[in-house]
Amino acid sequence: MGRRRRRQPDPADAARALPEAIAALSRTLPAAPSPEIFRRAKFDRPEAAPALWRLLFHVLSPLSADSASVSFTLEAQVRWVKSVLHSQGYPRLALVQLQDDGSQGGRELLLALAWLLARGPLPERLLTQSHVRLGDEMPVCECEALASPGPPAPRVEAEGSVDIRHLQWLMGKLQLRWRNLMAGQQEQCALLGKIHSYTRGCHSDRSLGHLSVTETELLRDPEGGRQLLQRLETENARLEAALEWRHRELVFWRWMDTVLDTCPLEASPPTFLPRIPEPGAGAAGLPVRELQALQEELQALQEELRKAVEARRAAWQAAVGGHGPEWRAARRALQVAVAQDLAALQWAWEQGKGQARPHGPRRLVRTEARVPGRLGLWATEATEALRAREACLEAMLHQLQGQCRQELARLVGVRPGLIWVPPPAR
Amino acid sequence: MLPAECSRRLVAELRDALDSCAELQRQLEQSLRVSRRLLRAWEPAETPAPEPTPGPEINEEAPSSACPPSPQDLKELELLTQALEKAVRVRKGLSKAGEGVKAHSLKSGSTSPATRASAPPSTSHCAGSCAPGTKPPRGIRHPWVPAKDLPGRRLLLVGDGAHMGKGAGANKPEAGLRDQQIIPQAAPPVPEAFTLKDKGALLRLPEAFRKAASRNARLWAQLSSMQTGDSVDAAAATAKTQFLQKMQTAAGQPGSRLSSAEVGRLQKACSLLRLRMREELTADPKDWTQEYRSLLTLEGLQALVGQCLHRLQELRSAVVEQPQGPWPEGPPRAASPCGGGADPMWSPQLLLYSSTEELQTLAALRLRVAMLDQQVHLEKVLMAELLPLLSEQEPLGRPWLALCRAAHCLLCEGGQRFLTVLRDEPADRLSPP
Repeated sequence: MGRRRRRQPDPADAARALPEAIAALSRTLPAAPSPEIFRRAKFDRPEAAPALWRLLFHVLSPLSADSASVSFTLEAQVRWVKSVLHSQGYPRLALVQLQDDGSQGGRELLLALAWLLARGPLPERLLTQSHVRLGDEMPVCECEALASPGPPAPRVEAEGSVDIRHLQWLMGKLQLRWRNLMAGQQEQCALLGKIHSYTRGCHSDRSLGHLSVTETELLRDPEGGRQLLQRLETENARLEAALEWRHRELVFWRWMDTVLDTCPLEASPPTFLPRIPEPGAGAAGLPVRELQALQEELQALQEELRKAVEARRAAWQAAVGGHGPEWRAARRALQVAVAQDLAALQWAWEQGKGQARPHGPRRLVRTEARVPGRLGLWATEATEALRAREACLEAMLHQLQGQCRQELARLVGVRPGLIWVPPPAR
Repeated sequence: MLPAECSRRLVAELRDALDSCAELQRQLEQSLRVSRRLLRAWEPAETPAPEPTPGPEINEEAPSSACPPSPQDLKELELLTQALEKAVRVRKGLSKAGEGVKAHSLKSGSTSPATRASAPPSTSHCAGSCAPGTKPPRGIRHPWVPAKDLPGRRLLLVGDGAHMGKGAGANKPEAGLRDQQIIPQAAPPVPEAFTLKDKGALLRLPEAFRKAASRNARLWAQLSSMQTGDSVDAAAATAKTQFLQKMQTAAGQPGSRLSSAEVGRLQKACSLLRLRMREELTADPKDWTQEYRSLLTLEGLQALVGQCLHRLQELRSAVVEQPQGPWPEGPPRAASPCGGGADPMWSPQLLLYSSTEELQTLAALRLRVAMLDQQVHLEKVLMAELLPLLSEQEPLGRPWLALCRAAHCLLCEGGQRFLTVLRDEPADRLSPP
């Protein structure tokens, strides 16, 4: 597949190249409109706008959007897309000035789509999100196991003031839910263990060895199996389209340049009046609270580090006398090593790459213990990593609770005549 | 009673937490349903079995069901019928002993097609009526053997069962009405329904599925390898960068803007730094090199935290300066750290475990970490709302005390234990007896 790059461009090819590129793009994106719509969008034709709004909505929302999109009107989708684009730093103001009913702005939407495509591997990311999982998957990265919210579901807003006992009740309910979850999870693991061991030796892929629940289910229920197969084939078609897109995308970018050129230059911002700002909302829709919280966290961290460093530095100074000349060389080596270590840490958040290991859910494979040469993460290792995180969170929780205790003690301390009997320690 | 604004926020937070849990629970229950069903005996009634052609892609390699059975098939059919009759006899003998074991299995069978009602006689009857090719007895052609060449059919009993006019497989001996399961040629006396436990190792995936799955893996591998550049990619990358720059300059917006991505990065930095600090503080240095290294690391972490704070201050002051545009309300709650750091490209990654206990430990720990994460967040929110409230309120009345006590419970004991408040009466108030 790789040889065609060096071919001399053929004029007939050139004419076909753009429609084919757009066709490939249309085939690989989910819910994409036909290539014709893209062309019309360049000329700002009205019929192009709603389709492109919907496409942007699908592209920007996380996986749950399929069901969610049904419940969203076009207008709601438009507003949501605008806010997400803004929070991602979309530069053009013309987008937000488009009407909420989604009837205009094909060209601007095309530019927004191109902007998203240029910033990162969008088709691949979407394909990964919707990838048909054939195995029993478990995410082991140290991020939240809880669902991250997609577009805000239209929710009935709560009433006015409540008694604090209502809050206590809600907390209790939450704890009960967690307990149920844990019990259910244990059962599920036991069942998975059984299914995996009963189907040992069945899989055509030797490195997997046994069937997953999905695969076993498709054997039990051929109708479900047919649907799974269909989804798999759809994904394959989209993957092929993505490969084709990657080969052809250059001509698309040249075309987008021309589209951008047809747009009038934007006026600078200060001329329009801001809407009444939400209380506590900063620019880009970020609540000031969040920033404040982050600042406080960082400051607390700094404080803790300061104390630790002071103590250790003092201890070190006291003990350092008895080291010889080899000490200086060793010290330099250590400094270099630590600097590299910390640089790697910094890289981890700067570049947006998570831990050393790639993220995402992993397929569970039951295998004999410690067979060498198996490529994959061992559950025992993953458990270790999670224990570290658990310890960290527990420490943080206790520290916060301690803070509260102190604060409350201070508040009630000023009121004499009362005895506060704390609950018995666990 | 708490003030309205505060109430609304706290209730909303708690409801969010409850909803997240409920979502997890829902997914878990679905998985449990599926898994439990797989471990029970499989019911052959799922497919509308009398269908002669159940989907081309699955039955690709099955001999055409349209041609009339050959003499050889009839002979096989005869053999099988005999075996089944024998099975019925044996089963009847057994069933006397095992009568009424589980009545529910009778009920479960009742959902299947009604052809079942006439059971044993239909065996021979079916042999007669099926053979002339009205409904080609697919199942007969594929007796229940661990055949690797059985593509789309799961090995067993599905359509076969229905053709024989049979019903749901229960693996308990029943009144011999219903269980003409196809038995292997070796004909053990007691035919059983399919259970994963006994015969799971004999399953094979359908050919079409295998092909699609391997094509899928191949395409993903191709897509991944495209990321590592070649000349086309370089040209495209340049074109993209130029396009982005052009977009930026054509926009007329001031260059640097606070984006949630930047804040997300700082949040991530914070958590990574904290994690690292914990590791260092809990580690036990064995010799002076380790001690020194630990010290250097902590100092380095301190410097990094300082940098982050500095950057945050910069961003916050920039926020204050900018005019607020007419942007609608942003999406709720910053994306999870994994969302930003996730690999854009899928690649097959495995998680290997060797015992159920290992898996259970891992899963339990995962949930616990998620729960703790949620608890920490809720704790911060509660602190932010309740502590100011308590310090504002002056009167030392009952309501304030009750509020204090409740707040203590929520904030300091995770909502689980209460303290007691006693009024300290001065001694001279007590009246002598």
